[in-house]
Amino acid sequence: MAKFKRETLTVDGVKTVVHSAGSGEPVVFFHGAGTVDGFDFAEPWADKFRVIVPYHPGFGESGDDPSFTGLHDYVMHYLELFDMLGLDRFHLVGLSLGGYLAAKFACEHSHRVKKLALIAPAGIIDPKHPTIDIVAVPGEQVPGLLVSNFEVLRQRLPAQPDLDFIGERYREASTVARLLWEHPADPKFMRYLHRITMPTLILWGDEDKIIPVQQTETWRKFLPQADIKVFKGAGHLVHLEKPEAVDAVATFLA
Amino acid sequence: MSALRFNAMHFMPYVHLPENHKQFKSSWVNFPNKFYNPERGHELYQRYVQELVLADRLGYDAIVINEHHNTVYSMMATPNLIAAALIPQTTNVKICVWGTPPNLMLPNRLAEEYAILDVMSKGRIEVAFPLGTGMEYWANPVNPATARERFRESLKIILQAWTQDGPTTHYGQFYTYRFLNPWPRPFQRPHPPCYIVGTGSPETIEIAAEHGFGYASVFVTQQRAFELNENLRHRAAHYGHTIRPDQLPLLTFIYVAETQEQAEREYVGHLEHFFSDYLRTIPHYLAPPGYLSVDQLKTRAAMADKLHGGFDFNAISGSFFVAVGTPEKVANQIGDWAAWMKTSHINGVMHIADMPHWKTVKNLSLFAEEVIPRLRSRSDIAQRVAAE
Repeated sequence: MAKFKRETLTVDGVKTVVHSAGSGEPVVFFHGAGTVDGFDFAEPWADKFRVIVPYHPGFGESGDDPSFTGLHDYVMHYLELFDMLGLDRFHLVGLSLGGYLAAKFACEHSHRVKKLALIAPAGIIDPKHPTIDIVAVPGEQVPGLLVSNFEVLRQRLPAQPDLDFIGERYREASTVARLLWEHPADPKFMRYLHRITMPTLILWGDEDKIIPVQQTETWRKFLPQADIKVFKGAGHLVHLEKPEAVDAVATFLA
Repeated sequence: MSALRFNAMHFMPYVHLPENHKQFKSSWVNFPNKFYNPERGHELYQRYVQELVLADRLGYDAIVINEHHNTVYSMMATPNLIAAALIPQTTNVKICVWGTPPNLMLPNRLAEEYAILDVMSKGRIEVAFPLGTGMEYWANPVNPATARERFRESLKIILQAWTQDGPTTHYGQFYTYRFLNPWPRPFQRPHPPCYIVGTGSPETIEIAAEHGFGYASVFVTQQRAFELNENLRHRAAHYGHTIRPDQLPLLTFIYVAETQEQAEREYVGHLEHFFSDYLRTIPHYLAPPGYLSVDQLKTRAAMADKLHGGFDFNAISGSFFVAVGTPEKVANQIGDWAAWMKTSHINGVMHIADMPHWKTVKNLSLFAEEVIPRLRSRSDIAQRVAAE
């Protein structure tokens, strides 16, 4: 992440690491339920925007707060962080679990989000096209589910996972369990999606093995104004597999 | 001086595994229940209950049962039902339900069930509180990431229900009780003897120490069991409790036969089957997310790497408490362990894996008639234990 500047903040007692780059209109990116995929994909955005990538509490370089037991705790955390960063209105991009969080944030604080981009967002309950319950999947099987072309991910994974890598993945899985063990998605989430009124782009890989691309239909139903782009031959981490997906976000936000 | 005490413990496994069972990475959690044949299950329950009733007739001090879910390892998903079946068929023996993880039941309900058993048996119940293995959290709708906080709260509610005149109230993180007032109350006052069950993690030792409870360790090496006992005595003293020798059950696998050679020939295959097949599971099930701290997870992952390799009877006997041989040898071994561990409480696993009925009866009988008298006559054990 050559371009990114690393900053450590304390947000309501929680160590929060924020990477940022570029200048212009602020774009905040919420990562998903793991952080092995990295943030370097977002570098091109820094050519046009001030890109702000925080690690959620309980993930990556940020600290833990075991009192976070629901997604709403993260909404509150980000309200505090955005106040600290002086971000009033900004673009918000979220991936997978981070997409679920971004959509929830946008429902509750729609006036602060200028444009919303969701990359294979979680949160939808669709009995016909169910999201894989990632909590139940043994860790070693997860990478194979994340992408269509495994080579894209291989370079980001250790050849032989050591104890530190295993420990870090377990820590992130534990954070996810704290949030999602009882309910992989909140049955009430869809109830309030109509409050997302800002311009919205939804991106998906048509070979997503974690959240089926057919869930775009449910999003279309709740967000009829949203633009939906499906990328052929891409899996869940469509932003890693298809640079054009990253470009599409930049074009949409411009 | 504390009299020696002998338990007969039974896991009540489902032994009719399909021929292809080794193709399954785990005999827990997702091992398909289509392989459970209720008719064979009925035969096994009949047989296992008879074996525990025999332990009562043979003069064992206690019989021990416990709880597991979704597994061939144990057919006791609700051990209180088994305890209820054992009460009218036994007369003297203590019935130890070691036990239902409080997290897997509403705490008032568990307090009630144990109280019912205690009243029905006229005070023959002992209970233990496990956190529950990681596997149980895949089988039950309870979050492993908050399991330890929930466990503490559940325990508080159960003890409050037993020790305070109701109705009382409880407003906690996980449970709200507006009228905690269970009927009946336990026969034993203030409540049945309690133990914590575990593998000796600092958290569970601390809970036992705080309450002055015993600690029933499971599947720990000899050295770790020794350290655990030392730690518990030390930590309990910090809270003003003295842990008695009978509060530290020593879990040991036992098989007694006429000669050493015969004992090994009759037993070792079952022990291997137990370790290789009944305990077989995957790390994901052993440690669901949040169940362990990251440090604990890394420690255990490092240990698992070292334990790789096939079953080796000598290695298992060298690191765990495994007493297999003639009455004299088994008595000597257990006596020495008890003295070293400063415990008067021997918790013997008397049946294992697919051990047939005749071997179980033989083992129970020989141990009761040939080993227990030998141990009771060894005055040095009681003295060394009491010297603590």
